[in-house]
Amino acid sequence: MSIVIRVEQLKKVYHLGKVKVEALRGISFQVEEGEFVSIMGPSGSGKSTLMHIIGCLDYPSEGKYFLTNHDVTKLDDNQLAIFRNKKIGFVFQQFNLLPRATNLRNVEIPLIYAGMPFRERQRQTLKALQDVGINHRAHHHPNEISGGEKQRVAIARALVNNPSIILADEPTGNLDSKTGLEIMKIFQNLNQKGNTIILVTHEPELAHYAGRIIHLRDGIINREEVLA
Amino acid sequence: MILQGLKIALESLWANKMRSFLSMLGIVIGVGAVIAIVSVGTGSTQQITARIANLGSNMITIYPRALRGQFGRLSSISSQQKFTLELSEHLEEFCPSVKQVIPLKQVNGRLISDDVNINSAIIGTRAEYTEINNYEIAQGVFINQEDDLERRQVIVLGHQLASDLFDNENPLGNLVRLNYDGRIFQFTVIGVMKEKGGSMAGNLDERAYVPLSVVMDRLTAQKYVDSLLAQAYSSDEANRAVQEIEYFMQKHLEDEKREQFRITSQDEILDTVSSVTNTMNMMLGGIAAISLLVGGIGIMNIMLVSVTERTREIGIRKALGAQNKNILFQFLMESLSLSSLGGVAGIGFGWVATYFLAQYGNWPFIISTISVIIAFSFALFIGIFFGLYPAMKAAKMNPVDALRYE
Repeated sequence: MSIVIRVEQLKKVYHLGKVKVEALRGISFQVEEGEFVSIMGPSGSGKSTLMHIIGCLDYPSEGKYFLTNHDVTKLDDNQLAIFRNKKIGFVFQQFNLLPRATNLRNVEIPLIYAGMPFRERQRQTLKALQDVGINHRAHHHPNEISGGEKQRVAIARALVNNPSIILADEPTGNLDSKTGLEIMKIFQNLNQKGNTIILVTHEPELAHYAGRIIHLRDGIINREEVLA
Repeated sequence: MILQGLKIALESLWANKMRSFLSMLGIVIGVGAVIAIVSVGTGSTQQITARIANLGSNMITIYPRALRGQFGRLSSISSQQKFTLELSEHLEEFCPSVKQVIPLKQVNGRLISDDVNINSAIIGTRAEYTEINNYEIAQGVFINQEDDLERRQVIVLGHQLASDLFDNENPLGNLVRLNYDGRIFQFTVIGVMKEKGGSMAGNLDERAYVPLSVVMDRLTAQKYVDSLLAQAYSSDEANRAVQEIEYFMQKHLEDEKREQFRITSQDEILDTVSSVTNTMNMMLGGIAAISLLVGGIGIMNIMLVSVTERTREIGIRKALGAQNKNILFQFLMESLSLSSLGGVAGIGFGWVATYFLAQYGNWPFIISTISVIIAFSFALFIGIFFGLYPAMKAAKMNPVDALRYE
């Protein structure tokens, strides 16, 4: 098994005026290919900050972050954008679909930025929609479908570029519990097909879908829990 | 990437139709105004120059200039007295570029038909007058050489004067009396001129024409005329003719400082008019260009609002792999689409406005191509210039902050 994510002594300090806030105070862990890892912790534990850094949206203040053996801390803005495009699939609590575009167009966006030609893009987009069972909604707009369906579209969008990791940030936070379970089943399914998944959540029941739980508290890893 | 960017831009403009339309309006009006004003300027200038050309072909007028009185002496009238028939013949003889010279002498008197009397200008002139002035006869004939030689008391009426004196009656062959200087002279009407309209020297249609010899010998008994009308052989030779006349007059009148005479040529008038109209056109075009600039600021304003409003969209796009240049391009494309669509609509608007103004003002309908090109490229430039700042603002957004934006 190759290592997808390796972070070493990751620190993040925010300067709010004259006050220094240490969001991350030295975090080290690894994620192997095909793993399903939950990052758990109460709000303020630093899990959002950690997710932003892992998702290449933000730089750490100190420490090392290797994504598929590339040192992310050494990349500039454009290279980070390329990494987000090729290696990371985001699933957000707010779905974050573009309301004016159809679901198909939403899923297509990462492929557009990857510069994929139209036909191939079309084929891959439809396949991703099919993988999460939402292809019948391809030509609807996000505001015409239910929350569960929106999140499926969002997952299709995260999958479409065959990323190295899928980063899901409270993906069931805006859904009722039944729909939430369906979404978690999809993640489980994707993991069984070999996708590496990192789930950020504060709900223990959801965290337990993963094979391993990393508990964060006050910016450091409190404990790691290996399941099953 | 260009097509994609254009597609995204047009989609988002379409999604905000009303707003897009309103922000485009500034450009539409600006471009339309520039085109309409410059085109109308070109059309009306053409009309004016055509009218001036219509006043006469290659016409040069020589006037005596009143001398200033010096050391308590009265201003001399001697310069006027030097404008004799001999001078006219000499000019014709010694200036090779001058085809012909005819003297003019005007008197003001009261013309009387049966029960109508009108104060009017009576021009003493010769047969060639109509040719030099591009003036055509409507009814009857103009004065001919014999009329002049034999001092016949015949009169040709201006269009307006004829209808004032004789209503709808045919004036040909009728008698009119001229009350000049307390004496009465009788003239036979031999012709009526075509309508010509106003000129620099007043309305030609309200004048009457009689043989020069009648004015000089019978009416005034003066040996000098008011002005000399010279015609160059062609418009190319008009400038040379002016120089020759100037030189001759200087020598003949022994007037090196050119204080005793004044020469106006049609070229000179045309030059003056076109420099005036050019300045006007430039000024009006400039004012219209300012409205284009204001339109550009409107676009920038809307783009800034649009960028702020779509902060989250920018965050999402960045999270999905959009690089700064993709975002920059997307918003630049949007402002460019706004300004170029506005520019196209403005060309249409300017075209229609020019058409109706030309109809209304009765001048030729001309669309100035150069104004279309300049106005449209200026609109595109404005789209880029005023779109750049908002687009850069969007491109530089931090993805984490943009994603959190509510």
